[in-house]
Amino acid sequence: MERLLNSDPSWTNLAVFFGLGAALLLVVLAFVTYGILAERKVMGFMQGRYGPNQVGGRWGLLQTVADVLKLLLKEDTIPKAADRPLFILAPILAFAPAFMVLATLPFTDAFQFADIGVGLLYYIAVSGLTTIGVVTGGWASNNKYALIGGMRAAAQMISYEIPLVMSVLGVVLLAGSLNLNDIVEAQKNVWYIFIQPIAFIVFFIAAVAELNRTPFDLPEAESELVAGFHVEYSGFRWAFFMLAEYVYLFAIAALTTVLFLGGWHPVMFFDFIPGAVWFALKFSVVVFVLIWFRVTFPRLRADQLMELGWKVLLPVALANVLVTALVKELFF
Amino acid sequence: MSGEYLAFLALALVAIIGGVLMLNLSKVVHMVIALVFTFISIAGLYVLLSAEFVAAVQVLIYSGAITIIMLFGIMLTRHREEDKEKTTTGGFWRKALTAISVFAFGAAVYLGVYQLDFGENAARLHEKNAEQIGTALYSHYIIPFEIISVILLVALVGAIILAKKDDGEAQKK
Repeated sequence: MERLLNSDPSWTNLAVFFGLGAALLLVVLAFVTYGILAERKVMGFMQGRYGPNQVGGRWGLLQTVADVLKLLLKEDTIPKAADRPLFILAPILAFAPAFMVLATLPFTDAFQFADIGVGLLYYIAVSGLTTIGVVTGGWASNNKYALIGGMRAAAQMISYEIPLVMSVLGVVLLAGSLNLNDIVEAQKNVWYIFIQPIAFIVFFIAAVAELNRTPFDLPEAESELVAGFHVEYSGFRWAFFMLAEYVYLFAIAALTTVLFLGGWHPVMFFDFIPGAVWFALKFSVVVFVLIWFRVTFPRLRADQLMELGWKVLLPVALANVLVTALVKELFF
Repeated sequence: MSGEYLAFLALALVAIIGGVLMLNLSKVVHMVIALVFTFISIAGLYVLLSAEFVAAVQVLIYSGAITIIMLFGIMLTRHREEDKEKTTTGGFWRKALTAISVFAFGAAVYLGVYQLDFGENAARLHEKNAEQIGTALYSHYIIPFEIISVILLVALVGAIILAKKDDGEAQKK
């Protein structure tokens, strides 16, 4: 991979990267398929029921596949009063950045797609573009619930992006680099979750808010807004919004692993297990915790959400940056 | 015809088309979406100029800013009256003056760009881009940088005062 990234650009090169990108897309789709199943199963067990158990054997292994097929066959409705071009464009605007951010994530020391110097910044910047797709979809639907959902999404994502950036600054200060490879390399001995526990907590809360998941799922709060910004969407366009959401779940779990859990580095002396397995293990733990959050927390009210973001998370993150900078200057 | 040239052509085309659409579309949300394409292609152009930090910051700042612009566009404009007839205002002289100033500005920028000389170190820009910017900013340009932060603070305080005033009036009523 390293050799490929440094090779001269050519048509073969382009074809190879295109093929690798398509392969990653398939992997991500497989993750989404089984991530949704895992989510429903875990939710089921936590709520004292079975979850999907009919399609595809006892474990419901083909349930999501059947759901996706149903979505593909569904009638694609566009409301008469909707803004047609934007209504069609919005799911694409929401999904494309979700897939773009995956390019910079280092899965192991050999397996990654782009070694960008400002990788972390790239991730945060590009993931912010999805908001535009969400607001566009909410506006183009010409439906008041959708518009309110879009507005909430914009307010929430902008407020929580700031604590998210501020919390990772501590990690960046310690690693001395925005490059995700260097950040993983700096965690060879101690993971940043132990050096930067406050940053980790702020980051994780802000990340859940960026994902629009419970307890921060106000843009699509079904008991208040029917379905939020995608209320008018059906069939495959709706699937694209959902897909974007679950690809972000994949991306944020991978990013948490990279930033705070030491990426592909093994625990203590278990280094005979390959890095990819370690990465997958840590990644799965993060995904499980995210699902756990969804099952156990009630939804916040809109004003509490804003208060938490601006009055609690942001000052805490700023104080953490200050303390980290002082400690780094004085003791290192 | 190198790959870089192709990429430049594509990005420049998207940027210009986005700008033209932004001026010509009639609905405010459509304009904002056109603006998104312009800003993102400009970020792409920064990447071609090996200024990856500036590119990432461009996307980071403008994706938030554009969402806000879009919300204000939705909230503060009347989008029910779309089929209003477009009429140009101003007489012949005003139009002529506008045209002349547009061309003069274009000529000035064109000449300026052709005479621009960044010196020799442009070739090393892609190595540790963020670190180079940080070193330059905090060793040579520290005072302008601090002054900009003060100006931003003043703007912030001003915005808060404006918002507070509205609040007091609303309570009186």
